[in-house]
Amino acid sequence: MKTASSAQPLPGDFAIWVFIFAELLVFGVLFSAYALSRMSNAGLFDASQATLNRSYGLVNTLTLVTSSYFVARATRAIRHGRSAACGRWLGGALALGALFLAVKLLEFHDDFSRGITLSTNLFYMFYLSLTFFHFMHVVLGMVILGFVAYRTYAGAYDANRYTGVETGASYWHMVDLVWIILFALIYVLH
Amino acid sequence: MKYSSQKVAMPYFIAALALFFGQIVFGLIAGLQYLDGTFLFPDLPFNVTRMSHTNLLIVWLLMAFMGAAYYIVPEEAQTELYSPKLALVTFWVFLAAAALTLAGYLFVPYSQLAAMTGDAILPTMGRGYLEQPLPTKIGIVLVALSLLFNVTMTLIKGRKTSLNLILIGSLWGLALLFLPAFYFPDDTVKASYGWWWIVHGWVEGDWELILGALLGFILIKMTGVDREIVEKWLYIIIAMTLMTGIIGIGHHYYYIGAPAYWIWLGSIFSALEPIPFLLLVAFAFKMLLQRRREHPNKAAMLWALATPIVAFLGAGLWGFMITLAPVQYYTHGTNFTAAHGHLAFFGAYAMVSLSIISYAMPLLRGREANSPSAQRWEMTGFWIMVFSMIVITLALTGAGIVTAFLQRSGDNPLGFMQVQDKERVFFWIREFAGLGFFSGLLVYLGSFFISGEYDYASEAKQALSA
Amino acid sequence: MSSIENRPAGSVAEPQGFLPKPCTAAWAALIGLALFTYRLGAYGSGRLLMGAALCLTLLKGQLVVDYFMGLRSVRPFWRIAMAAYLIVVGGVIAVAYLSA
Ligand code: HEM
Ligand code: HEM
Ligand SMILES: [Fe+2]
Repeated sequence: MKTASSAQPLPGDFAIWVFIFAELLVFGVLFSAYALSRMSNAGLFDASQATLNRSYGLVNTLTLVTSSYFVARATRAIRHGRSAACGRWLGGALALGALFLAVKLLEFHDDFSRGITLSTNLFYMFYLSLTFFHFMHVVLGMVILGFVAYRTYAGAYDANRYTGVETGASYWHMVDLVWIILFALIYVLH
Repeated sequence: MKYSSQKVAMPYFIAALALFFGQIVFGLIAGLQYLDGTFLFPDLPFNVTRMSHTNLLIVWLLMAFMGAAYYIVPEEAQTELYSPKLALVTFWVFLAAAALTLAGYLFVPYSQLAAMTGDAILPTMGRGYLEQPLPTKIGIVLVALSLLFNVTMTLIKGRKTSLNLILIGSLWGLALLFLPAFYFPDDTVKASYGWWWIVHGWVEGDWELILGALLGFILIKMTGVDREIVEKWLYIIIAMTLMTGIIGIGHHYYYIGAPAYWIWLGSIFSALEPIPFLLLVAFAFKMLLQRRREHPNKAAMLWALATPIVAFLGAGLWGFMITLAPVQYYTHGTNFTAAHGHLAFFGAYAMVSLSIISYAMPLLRGREANSPSAQRWEMTGFWIMVFSMIVITLALTGAGIVTAFLQRSGDNPLGFMQVQDKERVFFWIREFAGLGFFSGLLVYLGSFFISGEYDYASEAKQALSA
Repeated sequence: MSSIENRPAGSVAEPQGFLPKPCTAAWAALIGLALFTYRLGAYGSGRLLMGAALCLTLLKGQLVVDYFMGLRSVRPFWRIAMAAYLIVVGGVIAVAYLSA
């Protein structure tokens, strides 16, 4: 069983993987641009980073990782044909996604009330645009997951037909994956 | 062709090709004026030649897009067009407006044209591609509204495919993005913002969606691949287009007085803009490999497969070369930009228009495909035009690089006219390649006059005896 | 949910009984590593510390790829592609930070 399974195709629709790899390329370029532009501005980056409230970043990491875990459980449930459980896990994942957005908005609110803008300095330019760009990906991921959850409740998936769940799940895990790197880069490394 | 109302596409396609012909004539004159500054002066000053060339380009592309919409929307919706009569009236209005505007350019000095047409009341004239007088701009909006009304009503009463939604949605986007044409403040920075929302918003945003939808339609029809697969690819391409293209507009904001962060945002995001073009190439060839039938219209297939490739070269590669802020510091507004503009406009939007025309025209004329000899002519025209356009691009790129080095950098930069003199060889090459392009266009247009249709029986016999 | 109910038909690779599911274990590890990375960042700076934080981040990424995305069981090509992605991005970051 184990040997045969090592040649499985990618989970979900292949098209989503084309998208995922394109997205990873985009984020990879963004991360590299951040790191490379820090090279000649390390002092500025570190000083600005120190003004961030890093707990926001931590809470959001825990939220998104857990949400991703819920989605992994949803995939598992549907593979076993338990579509009600799948729907519940997806609902939980969506709720955590909403929590992520709320926390992030709170943090943006903090930033703006401190008078931070894209023009403040190079670090904040990257901080604001990278996290906002990721924010929009959480929104897109939630739209996709919401669609999958809706189809699950409508009974579109079962133990033999679950490609749709895997497709949405794979995208959501990608959103989680890039956040993990983003968190380290923006909130931790200095 | 499945619905008789699709026939209204035909006048649009024919007018598009006629205007294309006009565009190239003005291009050749402009190229000659580069070599001899007094050629046709003062009857036809360079600025008038130039704007006739570029405006004809935009108008024929819009004609082709509209024809494509009138052809595709009923077929996808599986119902007759809501009002073929309105579509036909709209066609004549649009053609008359275009002709009047061109006559205005040619026979009235531009400033006088502005005074005559109310530019003092609501100033809109003078910016590149948007040189049209106010009445023409209003006409464009009305024509667009008529198209949108017609296709949207057709969609409402018919089948709602994703492809149709994408096509009609992006036509709405095209019209909405035109509205900043009426916003021309004195503040040059704000005026530039508004101008780029249209120009960049079209070619690196909305029109890419139209491009995807047209290619998607042609490939569904010609390869027989499931539409679900095509639509999935289209969604990915749309997502990547918007994700990179919207913020990528910053590559026009570097040194115009906009905030400095655009140097970073514009460089990073526009550098990623080639991705959707690359995905278009992958998409087209994946569909080719998965094809379930051999369509007899080989010429249309050639156009459809070459479009994403040349678009990738012109937009993706040539655009990338001038998009990073430190590079554009030297290359901005040189002939390098013109090289990119030519190959991108031709590869993406001219070629996709010629693809849909190549696919649909035989069907509109009552046959699945043209006779093999007509197709051979068409494909010969294709190769001559593509090859000539690549030579034009390379010549302009050479001129642009010379400007960047001699006029924009070094300790003793030369003056503009001195450098132009040194670039004459490139302008000669451009003009000769332009003549090549023109002859390719004639061959292409000639293919429409070769009669006969594709005959399976005789083709099969020939193939067997060979 | 009892573990019997969760067992996929015919699978022998699934841990059973009191052992957590692989994705649950991965989740616990991810939470622990996130907290730890966060502490490292708060603790101070220095190349060693930051190098550790970066490595832990890449490890977290690999856990997501293997156990959430489920790439553990697909063709090696895709697993190598993903691992290569993490290594390249991590490498660029490392080089940039070391030469800052
Ligand atoms: C089919 C798509 C495209 C078309 C038709 C197109 C066309 C054009 C045209 C006509 C111009 C000149 C505008 C002017 O009058 O100043 C221009 C400028 C420019 N384009 Fe594109 N373009 C396309 C895609 C791209 C892409 C994908 C990129 C980036 C990778 C790009 C980068 C640029 C840049 C940086 C400029 C400004 C150059 C300068 O400042 O001189 N373009 N484009
Ligand atoms: C016979 C072939 C052609 C010749 C000789 C030609 C020549 C020219 C010339 C001389 C200009 C003015 C450049 C300047 O202002 O310095 C120009 C601009 C332009 N042409 Fe053409 N052209 C040809 C074909 C085309 C085609 C087929 C397209 C697109 C499908 C096209 C699109 C454009 C565009 C977009 C501009 C504005 C470029 C800019 O502002 O950077 N041309 N052309
Ligand atoms: Fe642009």
